[in-house]
Amino acid sequence: MASLTFHSLTGTVEKIPTSSFCSNPRISATFHCKNKGEKRVSRMTLKAMGGAAKYKGTQMREKQLTEMIEKKVTEAKEVCKGDETSDECKVAWDEVEEISQAKADLRIKLEIEKKDPLESFCQENPETEECRIYED
Amino acid sequence: MAACAVYTSQSLNSTCSISTPTKTHLGFHQKQVVFYSASKRTSKRGSSSGPCVITCSAGDSQTVVIGLAADSGCGKSTFMRRLTSVFGGAAEPPKGGNPDSNTLISDMTTVICLDDYHSLDRTGRKEKGVTALDPRANDFDLMYEQVKALKSGIAVDKPIYNHVTGLLDPPELIKPPKILVIEGLHPMFDERVRDLLDFSIYLDISNEVKFAWKIQRDMAERGHSLESIKASIDARKPDFDAYIDPQKQYADAVIEVLPTQLIPDDNEGKVLRVRLIMKEGVKHFSPVYLFDEGSSISWIPCGRKLTCSYPGIKFSYGPDTYFGHEVSVLEMDGQFDRLDELIYVESHLSNISTKFYGEITQQMLKHADFPGSNNGTGLFQTIVGLKIRDLYEQISASKTATPLEATKA
Repeated sequence: MASLTFHSLTGTVEKIPTSSFCSNPRISATFHCKNKGEKRVSRMTLKAMGGAAKYKGTQMREKQLTEMIEKKVTEAKEVCKGDETSDECKVAWDEVEEISQAKADLRIKLEIEKKDPLESFCQENPETEECRIYED
Repeated sequence: MAACAVYTSQSLNSTCSISTPTKTHLGFHQKQVVFYSASKRTSKRGSSSGPCVITCSAGDSQTVVIGLAADSGCGKSTFMRRLTSVFGGAAEPPKGGNPDSNTLISDMTTVICLDDYHSLDRTGRKEKGVTALDPRANDFDLMYEQVKALKSGIAVDKPIYNHVTGLLDPPELIKPPKILVIEGLHPMFDERVRDLLDFSIYLDISNEVKFAWKIQRDMAERGHSLESIKASIDARKPDFDAYIDPQKQYADAVIEVLPTQLIPDDNEGKVLRVRLIMKEGVKHFSPVYLFDEGSSISWIPCGRKLTCSYPGIKFSYGPDTYFGHEVSVLEMDGQFDRLDELIYVESHLSNISTKFYGEITQQMLKHADFPGSNNGTGLFQTIVGLKIRDLYEQISASKTATPLEATKA
């Protein structure tokens, strides 16, 4: 997914969505505009966002999973301090595994399959909070 | 036994609906189908929404069921993607449903994640002190009933286990596909479910490789370190050894992934030694072999005709016994670096069930970005995929020939 960001010295910024496939991660073009005698230097930067989330809901989910991993690892270390062979310790690390795999699955989906899991849902429900297009 | 196919005379935005009213408590849909044409006619293009036609045809209602035991998450695994690719078409989650569904659907195949049959959600498991690997966390009765129903051509309402929230979400409708793949930790654990499988595969990853892969998976994550990754594997190992590992004795094919023997003391897990252990005497399945079936072969393809870069490629093939069964084992150690290495190897393998020369190579190239595309994991997963296609075609052919015999009461 690529977006064209047009910056001008006067500070106006416009975003023009382009086609979804971009082979070069970064393409820059510099051009000059002459307007009423003023010289403006404008730069067009083409940024490819091939591996990132498209919808806000997915971006939030990525963040949520990252935080969960951290939290669950800390919990597991805490629980296992007493007895490493206890059931509680086993379960705590199993949860870490589950979340780690969930995060990895999401990453694979976004980076290799290049599909946002909310794609189908957001086609039907574009007005919902999670379906806002994620912009950075 | 009839399968009903629904056709509408209009395009996708049809206003037709079908209600399948009666459902048992186990989530089956009865065979009666009632149709009505809906009263609202909101078609943007103003085309008239006429009545819908439902055609019932007595088709091949017996679904071929494949079991895949793997510890690497569900339905999103590379193996599944390669398998569905062999049949053509990409596998997608059900459209318009729960975005957290674990199910994948393509034209021919539906892949179900067995985690959906968890009887305990994350909180429940914490309370009882059981991991997801423990059979006590899974409803094998429901698993059996629903796989049996799908196999006989009956749609089911299958629960969804949400891996992010750790909760059981409302069920989704699964229609019987031509090929049903059940993937997860326990496809062969319950004997009744085992008997429903037409073919079963076990992905056996050795501890060293598992550790290397999990490092690759998790090291970039904040919160993870080598210690936490190792601790997680070690903590799950007792349950894994007790409940998951024993299933491999029941598998028709085992893909064993081990560290390479070509590089001394290699611990990166990048070059792999992969063994395809194929049970002899399985209906509709003829094991792959090298050169001379039933003999023992050791083969290094690199030499005068083929130049390979370090560490090269080494094959072996031979008969063996595995948990008391006669098996044939095809083994590859090393990596493919170039296209011509792959095609060279393919041309020397026999019983690979390809439809044309170079099909394996083509499949591997199609997914060159998948992990394992340059070693035995990709090669053997692709071969197993072709074997499953072959098995499906044989079963379908035998059903068309003798439909009455094939349909079980």
